[in-house]
Amino acid sequence: MKDHNAECTCWNCPAIDLTGRVDFRACGQSREVFNKDLEENSDAYVVAECKRRPDLGLFDPMTITFDECPEWQQTPYGRLLKGMRVMILGIDGYLGWTLALWLGSLGCEVSGVDNFSRRDWLKERGAHTVVPISRMTERLHAAKEILGININFREIDIFKERDKLREFIDEIKPESIVHYGECPSAPYSMIDLDHATFVQENNVMGTLGVLFMMKDICPETSIIKLGTMGEYGTPLTGRPIFEGVFPADAVLRWDGREWSMGGELTPRDPVSFYHVSKVQDTYNVYEACKYWWLRSYDVMQGVIYGVHTPQVAADPKLRTRFDIDEAFGTVINRFAAQAVIGFPLSMYGAGEQIRGFIGLEDAMQCMARLIAYPPEPGQYDVVNQMSGFYSINHLAHTVARIASKEFNLPVKIQRVENPRVESDIHPFEPIYNKLPDQFGFEPRITLEDEIYRTLELLTQPEINHHFVVLSNFVHHNTSGASETIFI
Amino acid sequence: MSESLRSPSTTRTVIIGLDGMPYGLMKNLSESGVMPNTREIIRNGTFRQMESSIPEISSVAWSSVITGTNPGGHGIFGFTDIPHGTYRLSFPNFNNLKGTPFWNREGSGRSAIINVPSTYPATPLNGVLIAGFVALDLEKATYPPSLIPELKNMNYQIDVDASKAQRSMDLFLEDLDRTLKARIEVYRHLWDKEDWETFMLVFTGTDRLAHFLWDAYEDESHKYHPAFLNHLHQIDGAIGEIAGRLSRNDTLIMLSDHGFELSKVDVNINFLLQKEGFLKFKNDTPKSLADIDYGTRAFALDPARIYVNLENKYPRGNVKPEEKETLLSELESCLDSLEVDGKKVIERICRKEEIYKGPYIEQAPDLILLSHKGFNLKGNIKASNLTGKGIFTGKHSQKDAFLLINKPAEAIMPEKPCVDDVVGIMDNLRK
Repeated sequence: MKDHNAECTCWNCPAIDLTGRVDFRACGQSREVFNKDLEENSDAYVVAECKRRPDLGLFDPMTITFDECPEWQQTPYGRLLKGMRVMILGIDGYLGWTLALWLGSLGCEVSGVDNFSRRDWLKERGAHTVVPISRMTERLHAAKEILGININFREIDIFKERDKLREFIDEIKPESIVHYGECPSAPYSMIDLDHATFVQENNVMGTLGVLFMMKDICPETSIIKLGTMGEYGTPLTGRPIFEGVFPADAVLRWDGREWSMGGELTPRDPVSFYHVSKVQDTYNVYEACKYWWLRSYDVMQGVIYGVHTPQVAADPKLRTRFDIDEAFGTVINRFAAQAVIGFPLSMYGAGEQIRGFIGLEDAMQCMARLIAYPPEPGQYDVVNQMSGFYSINHLAHTVARIASKEFNLPVKIQRVENPRVESDIHPFEPIYNKLPDQFGFEPRITLEDEIYRTLELLTQPEINHHFVVLSNFVHHNTSGASETIFI
Repeated sequence: MSESLRSPSTTRTVIIGLDGMPYGLMKNLSESGVMPNTREIIRNGTFRQMESSIPEISSVAWSSVITGTNPGGHGIFGFTDIPHGTYRLSFPNFNNLKGTPFWNREGSGRSAIINVPSTYPATPLNGVLIAGFVALDLEKATYPPSLIPELKNMNYQIDVDASKAQRSMDLFLEDLDRTLKARIEVYRHLWDKEDWETFMLVFTGTDRLAHFLWDAYEDESHKYHPAFLNHLHQIDGAIGEIAGRLSRNDTLIMLSDHGFELSKVDVNINFLLQKEGFLKFKNDTPKSLADIDYGTRAFALDPARIYVNLENKYPRGNVKPEEKETLLSELESCLDSLEVDGKKVIERICRKEEIYKGPYIEQAPDLILLSHKGFNLKGNIKASNLTGKGIFTGKHSQKDAFLLINKPAEAIMPEKPCVDDVVGIMDNLRK
């Protein structure tokens, strides 16, 4: 089967140097410097050089496909640039570390920055990861020793240390930047004014700085930016949740008139100050693509769960973090932890809320496929990254069933008052076709398999030990009315 | 080096190129008084119509001018090319030139080369070189690099921004004027500073002017008719200035690479090939040659170079070597019968073997077309009609370039000179 990116051309490739545009009808160049503002002109050729293959001279970037280019080599997730330089912002996090090892195992040259703030935020809340993780120096050493992966790491705060980040980007000249370097917690952003301010400043201003640096240093590089399905909210009208923009045939009717909505950004309805920061990011990235011809995929990720990839499972020193506290733990992971500790699985309200989900390993597959298929110059695109959608009630019962049947754990499900401002019962029709249709994504891990693998890890004695200290944070401490269901 | 430091006995050659300047226009304007300095040179020298290269494209023609060979010898067949085994559209430049430019020949002496098309990127030479279009980066266009700051100080720009003409002809003319003035300033600077034996300066604004405003030249009532004449008058001023700087032993050669004529209608050759079943694309809106599909037997590159899609030569090659001759005959028959508005479009269909000689003939297109007057042949693959008309009112002509030497040179100039004769004529003039 042909790779999903086989027909991409140098127009998509970050190794391209767009050097100008020529119009041979008038015999010459239009401008000395490539400028995106030139009018569309079917007779003008784009002239490019390849940073990796200077021997090609000047050529039309539309005429070499990834399939034909020896620099793009086959991997299980499409063709990737040989030794592709990928920089991960937020490399110490749950996703960042996992992706670093995933890409490293595919032959990418991985670099990354982090300021360890995720570890600090957890400490601040009196929590920490239940799966022990090593210090970064030990992680890097283990990656090298066990997997043969060299990771070029710098401790940098992307918002407060822009000069250092600029230097590092200039040094690495990344061919793709994955941006996980934000505070990902809605509850954390809702604690008080200071936390709301911190989250918005860190996320929005941090990302804005990255965009300016890319414009100056590496405009051909793609930025794959982590958004969230939560940006959309759950529209009570029941309209589908499209992938960022309305489809071509969408129409707005009003007052007896109608307009095409195709290509316009869909409305956002964020549900926390954190989600507001993500929406603001969306607009900033969208504008940067429009103004400067940067290239970006905004990944509206469903709720992530799981703990397994072949790389992080290769050795205890390579494990990624696993948070189960109220601020940073995600629902399936929390349920799994509650099941292991013997606490009731705390379900907000009737548990009829429906969300999109994706397992960790499938999310990594998606990211590799996106990195392999860089957007075109100026292209801002959105993918809804999820492999299925479930009600919270369904998840609680699935975790409970596997925990009791496979691990012999007695599990209760407890309904507690919903502390969030959200509808318990709502329509939910997410559209998530692009990743499977355009990027060749096929989910490989079922919900049940990943829950099993998570419970398998959490029940290991050395990890189980950590729950003793963490138990307060796994148990929901709402004082509202509750009802317990026994499985 | 200043004039006074030079030995008066040194034989120097000065070449002034006027890109796209037709013999007929040169004759008319010199006689009508727009180009009085040129008239003087013509009066005392040898002035003949010259044939351009086939195709009559600047990159091909100038490569012939500076190497003294035809495309089979220098390997440049157009602004675009496709390397063997690919559909990669490449833009050949100086690195791809196989022939030796006269300034790199043994014993050629020190040269100052300014704005000769297709000499980008600049490579080291005995002298200085500022490449002409297509040259996207002034720094890579200049040798030695120490010259770059001086050029920047003089606001030198390699080419006029042709895209301006799409927005406003006035803006375009301003840019044309600015580019010319900076070019003149740079030639003066290098003339005085360098100790050269050969000085070559090409004005390329002439070509851009003719592309956009040939109709203005032909129509005296046209709003831009005076602007058209004024630009050439300014160039004539520079020509007079240069002629005035020559020593008695110096030779001045003036030439153009091709001529110009009115463009009435564009004819899209790939559209024709597609319509007649010679060319197939993978989709309805091909973006590039990479979209050529199996089943394609021939395709064209700008302006009208036809390549047989040979098996084992191109990725989706479809024509066996033994089928080639039949296919060429089919193509010739199809092209020969092409008419637009009842007029025949193609004047001459050239097979590569009949017009090229040299070691690089295998890379050449299989057929090269020359059109009747008024028809502008194009290789655009995105065209949705056989004919069209763009903003350009002037198109290149193959037979109407010129060659002018400032002294009697009938004996060494062929009766019907061609662009690849120029180096030989230079050699003979130095004897």
